Amino acid sequence: MDFSATAERISQKVVSRGHAVEKTAIETKLRRLVEEFGVPLGEAERTVTNELAREFSIQGLQTGGPGEAKTLDALAPGEWVTVEGKVVALTAPPSPSISQTGIVADTTAAVRFVIWSRANAPVLREGNWYRFESAVVDQYKGSVNLKVHSGTTITEVPAGGTIKPVITPIADLCPGIASVRGKMIQEWEATHDRILQSGLIADETGSARFVTWKEEGRERLNPGTVYTIFYATVDEFNGRLSLTLNTATVVPEEGDIEVNRGDTSFEGVFVHLAPGSGLIKRCPVEGCNRVLSRQNYCPVHEIQPTFQYDLRIKGWLDNGVETREVLVQRAETEGLVGMTLEQAREIAENTPLGMDEIFLRFRDALLGRYFSCRGREMDGRLLVSGCTPLRFQPERLADLLNRAGGSA
Amino acid sequence: MTNGAAAFPATRREGSFEREPARRVFAGELRESRVHFKEGQDEKSPSFVLLPTGARCNRVFFVGTLTEKKRQGEQNLFYRARVVDPTGTFFVMAGSYQPEAMQQMARLDPPSFVAVVGKPTVYQTPDGAVLISVRCESITPVDKETRDQWVLDCAAATLDRLEKAASTPDGERARKEYGMDPAIFRKMAYEALAQLRL
Repeated sequence: MDFSATAERISQKVVSRGHAVEKTAIETKLRRLVEEFGVPLGEAERTVTNELAREFSIQGLQTGGPGEAKTLDALAPGEWVTVEGKVVALTAPPSPSISQTGIVADTTAAVRFVIWSRANAPVLREGNWYRFESAVVDQYKGSVNLKVHSGTTITEVPAGGTIKPVITPIADLCPGIASVRGKMIQEWEATHDRILQSGLIADETGSARFVTWKEEGRERLNPGTVYTIFYATVDEFNGRLSLTLNTATVVPEEGDIEVNRGDTSFEGVFVHLAPGSGLIKRCPVEGCNRVLSRQNYCPVHEIQPTFQYDLRIKGWLDNGVETREVLVQRAETEGLVGMTLEQAREIAENTPLGMDEIFLRFRDALLGRYFSCRGREMDGRLLVSGCTPLRFQPERLADLLNRAGGSA
Repeated sequence: MTNGAAAFPATRREGSFEREPARRVFAGELRESRVHFKEGQDEKSPSFVLLPTGARCNRVFFVGTLTEKKRQGEQNLFYRARVVDPTGTFFVMAGSYQPEAMQQMARLDPPSFVAVVGKPTVYQTPDGAVLISVRCESITPVDKETRDQWVLDCAAATLDRLEKAASTPDGERARKEYGMDPAIFRKMAYEALAQLRL
């Protein structure tokens, strides 16, 4: 193995501090550590550098990893690196064995970092620049991560330039850290107790789901508002990307943007109306909104006598070749069945069948009829944003007569 | 941290199934169907009727005129009904395994336009005749416009099937099993459409 380059690097550092050092002596020490004791070269370099630093009482000589500081866009899993960057976000550590997590950014990119409790690292502050020497790059859930362990040295450094986060088009997102500019177009029912908010955010290129976990100081987004979101964490679940906003700085913007909702449309006949259509009761607990059972039982919040009513259609739309599950929310439902929520509530409260009566009326109004639904496909289900009944088209009759008669 | 959220789509995906589409087929074509088969050994794997135009069919959707309904049986109550389209008659049944359909049926009075979703089944009578009836999943009253829409829809679907039959395994099989002239069904579609013009 060739130790001269490493020895050269160490000796230059020492010489630059005004001390004389024998390069061959350094090389011998390195060789001994590596060949005799099986120390990795990077670690051997550290050891020798430290030793010389002590010998000559030089402060701040240590450079852990081999070579100069890398830029964050050049990290590859498995590397030991030295990087400099600004801590742009700190997040609550998910486990006691982790002392800090957050995002560090330089002018080229941003990555997540994890500081293990055992690393004895200084407490980092958001907004400050640091140099991470001998940190390890690894991969976690498909994205690159910077791990700070006990061999890593963190020193605060002066700001290294202005960081302008690059805005990524939503269609181009990949796991890691990204900044996006988009409009919140949908808010979803929370599927988990710890979710503050989840929904969809879209820009001109596409849309992605987002989630904000409950945490001190986190706020909900407002539907219809455009936001610039700096340093969100992008994860991948089941092949779909999701933005976690807990790491992000979210800035509301003026004005509006054109969004690509990824809408599809589907024409067909309602062939089945699923239970859970019609008048339903929802859990009134803030952020829950789950559908209650007949006995007003919420799977999370138990009996909720002060439920809220809602109207919806859950059913299957079928074009004869393909059949799709569709979910229609109240606003569209009211128009389709010709009944407002208030009317439905009155009917349900004044007929012996109660809420079943509404289901039956929905069934009679929808089943066997032709509709065109427009919306976004999610988990094989069409979340309908617009739905209109189809009418008989005489021009289609003429076309079909030609087609059927053409070669008869 | 995000494991909780991940669990939901995963479990839902596992439990999902493919719902069989409801084929649009004229009574005149369904009446000619004889071949029924099941793909897969599973108890729950769907069974199909092979249509003479060359498509497998587990479920049908049609709109027509309810001309007759009869309540039958004592212990095992069921309804038998006839629904007529421009090409012939569908025999519709709703038994105690289809309680919703039975109740819907109970509220209907012939003659009226109805939309039916159901599963076709092939029967052989003791004297060897083959009958095909539709086990009703739902039967709802509709208006004439919906009936007319269905005739267009069904004619288009029939023509589509005829066009595709040349290049599909089911089309091949139908040609072998039935050996029927595609022109019959083209004419059937034409005549059904022609009635709308009146």
